[in-house]
Amino acid sequence: MRKGRVSMYEEQKIHKIYDETASLIVDLSLRHRISHHEMHFLLNLLDQTVVKGRCPELMEALKKWDPDRLDPESNEIIKATLLALDMQDQEALKSIAGLIEDLIP
Amino acid sequence: MSLPVKASGKDDYLFDLESERRVLSSMLHSEDACIEAYNALSASDFYSPRHANLFELTCSIYEREIRPTYVELLKEAHTLGLFSNPRDIEELKYISEHYIEDENILYWIKRVKDKSKLRRFEGFLRRNQQILNENPDREVEETLLLAEEELTNLTALDQDDHIDTPEELAHLGYEEVERRFLRFKEIQEEHKGVIPLDGLPTGFDNLNHITLGYKPGDLIILGAQTGHGKTAFALHTAKAVAVDNGKNLLYLNTEMSRQQIALRWASILAGIDHDLIRKGDITETELSKVLEAYSRLRVSGFYSYPCPNLTPEKTISLARKFKAQKNIEMMIIDYIGRMDKMDPRLAEWQLLEQIVKTQKILAQNLGIAVICLVQLNPDGSLQGAKRMKNECDLMLKLSPLDPEDLETDENLKKYHNPNYALYIEKNRDGVSGKRIPIVFDLQKQVMRDAERKG
Repeated sequence: MRKGRVSMYEEQKIHKIYDETASLIVDLSLRHRISHHEMHFLLNLLDQTVVKGRCPELMEALKKWDPDRLDPESNEIIKATLLALDMQDQEALKSIAGLIEDLIP
Repeated sequence: MSLPVKASGKDDYLFDLESERRVLSSMLHSEDACIEAYNALSASDFYSPRHANLFELTCSIYEREIRPTYVELLKEAHTLGLFSNPRDIEELKYISEHYIEDENILYWIKRVKDKSKLRRFEGFLRRNQQILNENPDREVEETLLLAEEELTNLTALDQDDHIDTPEELAHLGYEEVERRFLRFKEIQEEHKGVIPLDGLPTGFDNLNHITLGYKPGDLIILGAQTGHGKTAFALHTAKAVAVDNGKNLLYLNTEMSRQQIALRWASILAGIDHDLIRKGDITETELSKVLEAYSRLRVSGFYSYPCPNLTPEKTISLARKFKAQKNIEMMIIDYIGRMDKMDPRLAEWQLLEQIVKTQKILAQNLGIAVICLVQLNPDGSLQGAKRMKNECDLMLKLSPLDPEDLETDENLKKYHNPNYALYIEKNRDGVSGKRIPIVFDLQKQVMRDAERKG
């Protein structure tokens, strides 16, 4: 996991956060708090960002997305687009990051 | 799945759950660790059935060319319905936390393997105790002999090793002769005398005829001087195996870039001079031919890995990975003189010897053919040649023909325009000391058998 750029201690911390987050996502699915599709999206996003260090644009856009400050229709559009996203498609990742940036105030 | 197995009780010495967790965790965090464990262990080496399941699951993900991360394992287990309650995830998380440094993986694998052997030994003792209890009148010699055979397999050999009994060897021998007998009949009746190969095609009819192809477990060494066609030979072989026959092959090149390797294929497959392709000095018709050529490469089994700092250890890791994920049948190393030394104190010939030994073991363990290209000295000799010759199954030398020979040698006069020759220095399964005249078109980088006159 991104060896060489971080210290041993930091690397272990990243491992722990990664494991905890992945476990939490699957736990939420088993407790029926999120759907199977939502679980897959969140796990893939975690793998892309932590293991592969990809899609920084999407992460930045998601950080800015606050559903409470957005109308329900826009929230639905973002969510539906995210769930249909192919995480291997780098162009699509950039494009949805742009879409979120456009929709948020 | 349920909570972790509690490691306590009088049989504690038979398992080591911590080592099992550390191996599994490392497989999830490092590809190198995954390759080591995949090759060294099997599910039966794990004491905990859940650990064995997770090991199999991790291996199956890896075989599908997906990096088996913690997330991938969670997804797979969830899809297969292996997780039914949150406690299962807690257990997997607990395993994942047992992460170790990559360099320690062999230590933990050995601990898992040792406990596995110990359990087999314990099973052996139990079985023999039972035999003694149930058959008190059995011949002592017979009992001891059977026990000795089983014990020898446990102590001296790895699980993969096997000693042939006389019956097994006789059975194997008959099967081999019968297979050859039936093949010979088939040749006579259906193939009109053309001998089908035992292994992968060499790309030369005459060499096929002598060797019956490159067989699984074979180590082939091809020596040539600088600029005398080592890479052309390697790619000619790759064409025969991966393009013409669709078999998967891994090509490791220590000298050339990705672009250079890709460009070579244009000349080889489209039959256009390499210089013209490099300059871009081609017609539109030729460009169409190049496109068609690459469409053949696209669907072939040729996997290329340019690696200027290749080490013997890296070749092992790569070969194992591609065997697991692509089921390669051949690996070509172009060339071993350019490999990095792990130990700077080794002399050149010692390094070459070490590499060749490693590759022979690798070929046998993975059941693939390995071709190593080596550089000959200007006088045509090879450093450490004798030792290399001992290790390999087939040793070939490629060199241009002497123009004087072409005029005087009666045998060469029987061929149309040969300019190069392949010398068979050693052939474990057949005749050696033969010279095969070939035509090497340096411009197009293609080779072929020289045609006989008449």
